[in-house]
Formats: sequence, structure tokens, C-alpha cells
Amino acid sequence: MDNTAIMPERMLTQLEADVLAERYSGEPDWLSDARSEGLLKYQDLPLPTTRLEEWRYTDPSKLKWDRVSLATRDTSDAPAAAAIGYAADIAFSARVVQSGARIVSIEVPTELIEQGVVVMDLADAAREHGDLVQKHLYQAAPASVDRFAAANAALWTAGVFVHVPAGVEIEAPIRIIRCIDEDAALAYFPRTLIVAEDNSNFGVVEEFVSPDFQNACFNCGVVEAFAGVGAKVQYVALQRWGHNVHHLGMQRTFAQRDSKLDTLVVNLGASVSRVDLAASLKGPGARSDMLGLYFAQGDQHFDHSTRQNHEVPHAVSDLLYKGALDGKGRSVFRGLIKVFPKAQRTDAYQTNNNLLLSRTAEATSLPNLEIEADDVRCSHAATVGQLDKEELFYIMSRGIARREAERLVVFGFFGDVLDRLPLPGVVRELRAAIAQKIAG
Amino acid sequence: MPSNEMVADIGLEEYKYGFITESEHVFKARPGLSAEIVREISRHKGEPEWMLEFRLKALEVYYSKPMPKWGGDLETLDATLDEIYYYLKPQEKMERSWDDVPQEIKDTFEKLGIPEAERKALAGVGAQYESEMVYHSLKKEWADQGIIFESIEDGLRLHPEIFREHFATVVPVADNKFAALNSAVWSGGSFVYIPKGVKVDIPLQAYFRVNAEKMGQFERTLIIVEEGAQAQYIEGCTAPVYSTESFHSGVIEIIVKPNARFRYVTIQNWSHNMYNLVTQRAMVHEHATMEWLDGNLGSKLTMKYPSCYLMGEGAHGEILSIAYAGDGQHQDTGGKVIHAAPNTTSQITSKSISKGTGRATYRGLCKIYDGAESAKSKVECDALLLNEDSRTDTFPYIEIEEQSATVGHEATVSKIGAEQLFYLMSRGLSEEEASAMIVRGFIEPIAKQLPLEYAVELNRLIELEMEGSVG
Repeated sequence: MDNTAIMPERMLTQLEADVLAERYSGEPDWLSDARSEGLLKYQDLPLPTTRLEEWRYTDPSKLKWDRVSLATRDTSDAPAAAAIGYAADIAFSARVVQSGARIVSIEVPTELIEQGVVVMDLADAAREHGDLVQKHLYQAAPASVDRFAAANAALWTAGVFVHVPAGVEIEAPIRIIRCIDEDAALAYFPRTLIVAEDNSNFGVVEEFVSPDFQNACFNCGVVEAFAGVGAKVQYVALQRWGHNVHHLGMQRTFAQRDSKLDTLVVNLGASVSRVDLAASLKGPGARSDMLGLYFAQGDQHFDHSTRQNHEVPHAVSDLLYKGALDGKGRSVFRGLIKVFPKAQRTDAYQTNNNLLLSRTAEATSLPNLEIEADDVRCSHAATVGQLDKEELFYIMSRGIARREAERLVVFGFFGDVLDRLPLPGVVRELRAAIAQKIAG
Repeated sequence: MPSNEMVADIGLEEYKYGFITESEHVFKARPGLSAEIVREISRHKGEPEWMLEFRLKALEVYYSKPMPKWGGDLETLDATLDEIYYYLKPQEKMERSWDDVPQEIKDTFEKLGIPEAERKALAGVGAQYESEMVYHSLKKEWADQGIIFESIEDGLRLHPEIFREHFATVVPVADNKFAALNSAVWSGGSFVYIPKGVKVDIPLQAYFRVNAEKMGQFERTLIIVEEGAQAQYIEGCTAPVYSTESFHSGVIEIIVKPNARFRYVTIQNWSHNMYNLVTQRAMVHEHATMEWLDGNLGSKLTMKYPSCYLMGEGAHGEILSIAYAGDGQHQDTGGKVIHAAPNTTSQITSKSISKGTGRATYRGLCKIYDGAESAKSKVECDALLLNEDSRTDTFPYIEIEEQSATVGHEATVSKIGAEQLFYLMSRGLSEEEASAMIVRGFIEPIAKQLPLEYAVELNRLIELEMEGSVG
């Protein structure tokens, strides 16, 4: 089962379905079929290029995804996760750790198990909770979305399944820590499936960490989250990969009636990171707050593509993405509020603010609206600017050195994103991560 | 405000420019496009060889470029482009005296009120009928100061050096598919030259009329505003209502030299079967100011994004865009500002109204190049939706390479507020009147920038379009 010598590009276009089945043997038939279908979709869908509007500002070849081999599930022996230095201080209820291309540890306290909470390897869940998994997997992020979604649908490993039964509330977040420690030109395809039953309430914090690498590696992850009627879910993605990791993240969330499904996307690491997320408001009274925070330095390139899908009346979405760009850092923000016909009484907002800290940094912002209902309140705003000279001057006049003053202003800039985050432990950790980056 | 009866009295209840004039054409090219048609156009105009070569090269570029996949629905356009007449010559030569213009063409423009407008308050008037300018005049006082206001053909014939120096420098042939098409088959349009330091305080006007069925109009306008000069130019566009689709694709090139100031106003009211795909662009030099005021009310589909290329330090560009999309219409409009020099400033203000199944799209670009220090740009878009089926989109592109730049974009979408309506109705207005008043208030910031006659006309049109909008 050693496919490490084969490039995914060649592997995916030439791989026979039965080889795929052998590779992922022991899975239920419906899942094997879905993987084969993902493979076919992959072979059908066109290769993305900058000629496509959604890839206009981020050349897909920058992701180096065609120069890597597929990481097998046995790549990493020991959980070197702690050594890499993930945010160890955050309180958690349950914890899952991935190392290499597989899950190496799962901790779930008995009290959660007693309440019926499931946190497990997605491949195991497909066997043990088949109906539940089959009902949700690939429903929000099907293989048909694009070539990368298809690749993940066919090839995912190290999957995590979180299921919280109706009415269950969990105080501390469930943590998923995804570590890569092998410095090799490998491709990883993690997948997370979160199902919140009616009136449940919990948070999930997924963290991506690695050391700096010599070899370019590629991570192509998919997250699907479903909030049932009245459920409250917070999902945080904290991307802190090292240098030479190329990150492609897809998030799809479905919020049912009166639910609240909030996301925070933090991009600090990786050489190139593209996050494509869509929040679908599926029931009246649903709300999604979408927060984003990014800080690019050196020659980091971050691309955020967001979508607020208002399919029903009386739903709310509020997006705030803020980024600071230093060195030759480059950011692309492409946001879309889509209000479908009949989605009356929609409230949808979208704001993207960028701070240019160096002469060589660049920001591109494309805040789009497509509105097909008339009784709506929608607005968007985008700004690109530099550090406020008056603020800097004020702080420096108090005897604080320029560099430190700049740091404080950047903190202030990010403040209104962090203030809106309902997970205090995570906020503390994030502040530390940003501080480290500013100092860097 | 006038009651609905009063509106009916002044004959505004329908698209009032929809009449058809019976007229003979001096020359009518075969429908469809070919190198032979391009040669014929050039021959009829008695052009120099370089222009014919330019046209033929442009035709190649046009053929080589794919149909745009963005913007409006261009699916039926290919068929339309095969059927239309690319060149219709309405009369033998352009007239300088209104009395010499053929009667049926004169009738047309009398109905549109052009000579009357000229007598009142214009420095010069040009009128284009089908493919050619049929009339051009400039008041003597302005001619004496060295202003040139001619048809584009006469510009090429009488001022070949200035013409060739500037022609196609602002909108190159390969800029986009329709600019290439225009470059191949252009006919009519104005050539304007404002000499150094000359300030014209009343506007020059051009009026564009398409009368024939299945007609393609490809006017080309070249405007050069020398250092320290000031002027403004207004264009109006109408066409009869036919069951088949017509096509209008103009290219407007403007060069605003240092410290000059220029304003270009368009009130586009084509009939609702017209494709209107226009490239309008200005090069703005040191400390010069360019203003576009772009009103789009008519056409089936308009794709038009007036642009300011701010090339010199301290240049300023302003784009005011107003779009009204009624039933079945798509107004895909906006503006582009490109900052290529330090201390340049720009502002885009867009107001759109969508009624019935109408769709208004704002599409814009704000690009600030590295080195355009302390450039500032502000974009504001407001959209008003009147009905359940109405649609609006906002697609801004903001590309910033310069650290010291300051850029802001804001957009809001709303419907007519129930409270606003209730307040006005409590003062005795009908719901329809109240809605019209709110819409007028919405476009006020733009309407007030227009010359009075145009502001009145715009308000009338809006009122007319608003009729029956409240179900």
C-alpha cells in the first residue's frame, strides 16, 4: 500500500476505483462508492487556473499541489504533536490529535460519553454510526464543488466526527489538533464533520501546526458543520502551519431554524493559504457570524473566499474579516452576500479591513453583493489603509518605542474581532500567537 | 410635484422617443460584418491608408477575442451581431446650417427638441443619425477662441496631426472585444479640441439617434483638453422601439492635460431592445480633474464603466453613476479609477434603482499602483429595490499595492422604507406619488449635478418609470 512515489495528479487521473477501494479497505460500501464518485468528479472537473474568476488573484500552482505525493496513513509513528508546540493551555472538553496522515489520540471524558457525545475517527464513525454519518457527510461540501473538494472526497484520512445530541451543552471547546512533523513533499487530506442536534451548544477549535519545512507540502482540508434547530455552535480554525506548508481549506456550514453557527478563521502560518468558506442560512431565525483574522509577513499569500447564502427569509449573517500585511505579504478577500429570491427580511453585512504595514505589502478586496429579494438590509464595506499616524504618535509620546507602538496599534486593529469571540481561553491563546508574530 | 394627469398631458406616459421616421439612406451596407464591409466604410469616408489598416487590424483583434463571460447575458448577441447593419449613411454630407438638414431627419430631431436646446443654452451641438453626424455647429465666439468641435471624420480630415497623435492612445484596439469592433467599424462621433487656457462655461452637446431597424451604431469620440482649459460635453441617446435587437458600441477617449478640467455627461435612454456596450476612458494628467456623470435609463443591457486613469501627480477623477433598471432591463454599470501617480484622488458614487424584474449591477475597479503615494479613493454604492422580483448586485474590485494609500468602499441595499412612505402619505400624497418622491430624493445627489434641463428630464423619466410601480 505504498503510494508515496506517485504524484496525486497522476494518481488521481489514472487511479482505478478498485485500487482506491483497496487503499481504503474495510469501509462501508456507501463510503467506498462515494470515494469512487469523488475520484470520477476529480477526473471530470477542470484544472483551476487564474483564468477562472475565483482563482484570478491566487495562482493555483502556488499551492504546489502538483508536486507532492500522497501521505499514507502510516507516515508518522509517534505523536510528536506536543513537541511542535500547539496551544497547550486552552481548556478543552474532548481532544483529538492528528499526526501525519492519521489520528493518533482521542480523549473524551466519561461524562460526555454518558451524555451521548461522539468524538471519533470519521472512518470508525462511518462503520459504527453509519446512518448518522451518511446522512451528513458530503452534504454540505460535495465532491462537485471543485477539483480540490473532489480530491478530498476521494482521499480523506485522519477524519474527525463530532456529534452532540439534542439539548446537550458543553462548556469547554472540543479541540482538534492537526500536526505535520515530516519534512517531505507530501499531500494531506483531513476532513472534519460536525453535527449539532437541536438545541445543543458547544464549540470546536481546530488547530493546524507544523515546524518550518525545507520541502513544500500541501494540506487540503474540508470541514462540514450542521447546526440543528436552536443549536449554538462556534467553530474556530487556527492555522499556524510552518513555512513551506501550502494550505487549502474548505468550510461549509448549514444553519437550521433559530440556530446560531459562528465561525472564526485565523490565518497566521503557511506560505500560501486559501480558505474557501460558505455559510448557508437554511431556516428562518438562523444566524451566522463570520469572523476572520489574518497577518501575513515575509512572502506569505493569504486568500479568503467567503459566501453568505441567504436561502430563506428572516436570517442574519454578519461577516468581519480583518488583516494586517507586512513585508511582501499579500492578501485577497473575495466575499459574496447572496440573497435568493423570496429570502425577505434578510439582514446581511460584510466588512473587510486591511492594514498595510510595509511598502511592499499588497491587499486586494472584492466585497460582492447579489440580491434578489427586495425587503432586505444588506451592506458591505471594505477599506485598505495604513497605521494611523496620530494613534502611533500618541503612544510614542508616552515614551513607548516605535516598534512597540506599532504592535499596540495592530492589536487595537484586531481588537474588535477578538472581542466578539465567545471563547475566552482561545482569545488568550490567539493574542499570544499574534504577539509572537508581530515580534517576529 | 405634477400629478399623474399632468404627466400624461406632457406626453410622457410611454417611451416618448419610440417613434420611427421614414427615411431614405444614401448608402446602406449589407448586414453582417466582413473585411469587405470595413473597406467600404473606409472608402465612403475617403480615409487615409493608415486608418484603413488600423480598421482591418482591429477587425482581426475583434475576431480573435472571445465573447465576455461576465456581466450581462450576451447569449443572443452573436445572432444580433450577424444580422445588424454596420454602416448606414443617412445623407451625402454633414450640414452646418440646420435649414439644410433633410426634412425627415430634421423632423426627428425637432421632435427630440434638439434645435430648441441649442438655441437656449449650448455652446455647440452635434447630431448623429444612424452612422454619421448629420449636423454640427459651434457658436462663433467659441470657434474664435480656437475650439474645435467637429464630426470625428472631419476631425481626421481637417486636423490630421492632432488626431493621429491622440487617436486610440487612451483605448487601444485590443482593450476589449467591443473596443476592437468599434475600432474596425467606427463611424460618427465628435472630435473636440479645447486649446490651452480656454474655459467654456456652457456645455457642448451631441445627440445620438438610431432610427433604422437592426442597426449597429459605433460612434467614436476623441476629446483633447489642453493645459488649463475647461469644458463640458453632454451626450443623449435614443432609438425607436423595434421588435428586433439593435446594438450600440461607442468608444470615447478623453485626454485631460495638466491643470485642465473636463466633465462628460451621458443621459442614455435607448429603447429597451438595445444592447449598449460602451468603452469610455479618460487619461488625466498633473493636477487635472475629470468628471464622468453617467445616467443609464434605457437599453436592454448596458455594460459601461467610465474610467479615469490618473497619470499625473495630484490628478483627480470623479464618477457619478446612476442606473435605473425597469422590467427586463439589466444595467451593468459602474466605474474604474486607476491611480498611477502620487497624491491622486478619486471618488465613485453609484446609485441604482431596480424595478419590476429589472437588475442593476454595480461593477467597479479601484487600483492603486505601487508608488502612487498617498493616493485616496472612496467608493459609495447605494441600491434601491422596488419590487419583490427586482435584483441588484455589487461587484467592486479593490487592488492596492501602495502602503500609503487610503481606500474605502461602502455599499448599502434597501427598499423604500415603510416609515418614509407612511410619513409622506400622511401628508396627503398617494402611495405612488410618495414612492416617486422617495426615489427622486434617492438620486438627488446626482441629479443636482446635472444641467437644469437634464435634471428636469431625468426627474420626469424617473416619475414616468415609477408609474404603476406600487402594487
